[in-house]
Amino acid sequence: MAEPLPDEPKHVETKALILLVAIGALIVAFFLYVMYARGVFQETQTLTLVADDSEGVIPGMDMSFAGFPIGRVRQVDLGQDGKVNILVDVARDDARWLRTTSVFTLERSVVGETRLRAYSGILTDPPLPDKAQRPVLRGDAAAEIPRLLATARTLLENLETMTRADSPIGNTLANVETLSGRLNGRYGVLGTALGGDAEAAQLLQTLRRVDTLLAKTDQRVFGKQGVMDDAQGAIQELHGLLADARTTLQKVDGVLVEAQAVGANARVATQDLGRLRGEVDASLRKVNRLVDEINRKWPFKHDTEIRLP
Amino acid sequence: MPLSSLLYVKPSHWGRHAARYLRSWWHMLHLGAVALVMAMSPSTWRRDIRLATSRYIHASTWQVLPWFTLLAALVSLVVIRIVLVTAQSYGLSRYALEMVVRVLVLELIPLSAALFAALRAGMAFDAGAMGLARSGVPVELATEQTLLRLRRDLVPQVLANAFSVLSLAMASSIVVLLLAYLNVYGLSPWGLGDYTRTVGRVFDPVVTLGFVFKTVLFGLAVAVIPSAAMLETLRYGQRFRSNVQPGALRLLFVLLLIEASSLAVKYI
Repeated sequence: MAEPLPDEPKHVETKALILLVAIGALIVAFFLYVMYARGVFQETQTLTLVADDSEGVIPGMDMSFAGFPIGRVRQVDLGQDGKVNILVDVARDDARWLRTTSVFTLERSVVGETRLRAYSGILTDPPLPDKAQRPVLRGDAAAEIPRLLATARTLLENLETMTRADSPIGNTLANVETLSGRLNGRYGVLGTALGGDAEAAQLLQTLRRVDTLLAKTDQRVFGKQGVMDDAQGAIQELHGLLADARTTLQKVDGVLVEAQAVGANARVATQDLGRLRGEVDASLRKVNRLVDEINRKWPFKHDTEIRLP
Repeated sequence: MPLSSLLYVKPSHWGRHAARYLRSWWHMLHLGAVALVMAMSPSTWRRDIRLATSRYIHASTWQVLPWFTLLAALVSLVVIRIVLVTAQSYGLSRYALEMVVRVLVLELIPLSAALFAALRAGMAFDAGAMGLARSGVPVELATEQTLLRLRRDLVPQVLANAFSVLSLAMASSIVVLLLAYLNVYGLSPWGLGDYTRTVGRVFDPVVTLGFVFKTVLFGLAVAVIPSAAMLETLRYGQRFRSNVQPGALRLLFVLLLIEASSLAVKYI
């Protein structure tokens, strides 16, 4: 109907056009937003994670680093070798958190979705290249529960043993308490080290005596007319004595020189005595020969022949 | 004619009733196809049709959009608060946003928009034609002008109703998305990255296409089914056995079928 009806509102066509344009713009904006949210306009690099089991992994799930989502699973497929290949799109801006030494884990919790996480221990390592392939470590909370329970039970039993009243740790703690009580006591570390306050008091008394003794000694040794003064006088006297001794020794030295000369003379005399002795021996032999000559001759002749019966 | 009416007829008439029933469905599909083809042919876009379309869009969308959006925002706010508080009490608040987006934006808002538009379209349907049908007067005796107006306004009405569902659903969805953000993160802009990521995770290509497809189908159903039922009534001069608006049950059935199929495709 071309002509407007009498009860028709004003500017119907304009309003309809505005509505069409507005709703059209809204739809386009919504699609652009969803595409942006899906990372269509984001530059990405691909990372392939190889796992044994793809359970819980769905396209579109996030891969997080330190709790921040940095990548999104694009595709999950089964490779020729029977391993699961998980293709992850990582935004180029966030790819700097992934290094060649990064570790990837797939964790299944009891409640909630499976999580894909990346850990980079050394951020100074070379960055992860595009189209890299990495194994993914699988952590299954449900599978871990029985082992965890067994370990927890042992742990709790040990804990119970440790916290019993008569347990070694309890005794040790009691000793530590006594020790700390003693440390806080009157004699502190000294009493603790010696084993009691009485001993510590004795030691202190002894120390006081030693102190008194030292004071007295100081007075007697280094005080006026003390041992040190006497010692100094004695040393001076000793100096005099030593000078006298040196003079005496010089004299002795002279005497020895003279004695040496006497000795030389005595040696010469001894040599003369040897010659004299030779002469005396020669004389004696001559006398002896003379006596023998006399004996052979008259009247002192002996018959030397032996006659047998 | 509803399928259950077969129980009250003689078995010898079952075939005839079933054929009429199927013909009725076929008539509806045919009308939808014709309306679509006419909407896409340039020859349809005469000045009077454009004006009529504008008038219907004004009536079905411009007048109801603010009120529907406000109502949807209020109801959604309540649902968002319930979901958030419940999720927080179970320590699952990180899943609350995703659930809100999935339940409200993807499912409830388009369905309520379709029902609202259907109600509105049914109410706005030509009272003259309605009265004519109810009176049981044969179609030949209907005034020439009423029939002419029905035929001429078919395409504008179908287009306006489809557009109404689409715009109500889109506007309300976007308001709900904003409300969800404000409820979860407050006025701080620092949750935007996280929020965008969650929305991106929910709206994967299959879900997005399903959402669009479902909304368009809702629009078409709301646009075509009541018109087809009404025209069929006029065509065959059937008398109404009940006071229910013609096509209302079929529309409800089709809407639920679309919704159930969409859910089945997405989650099964």
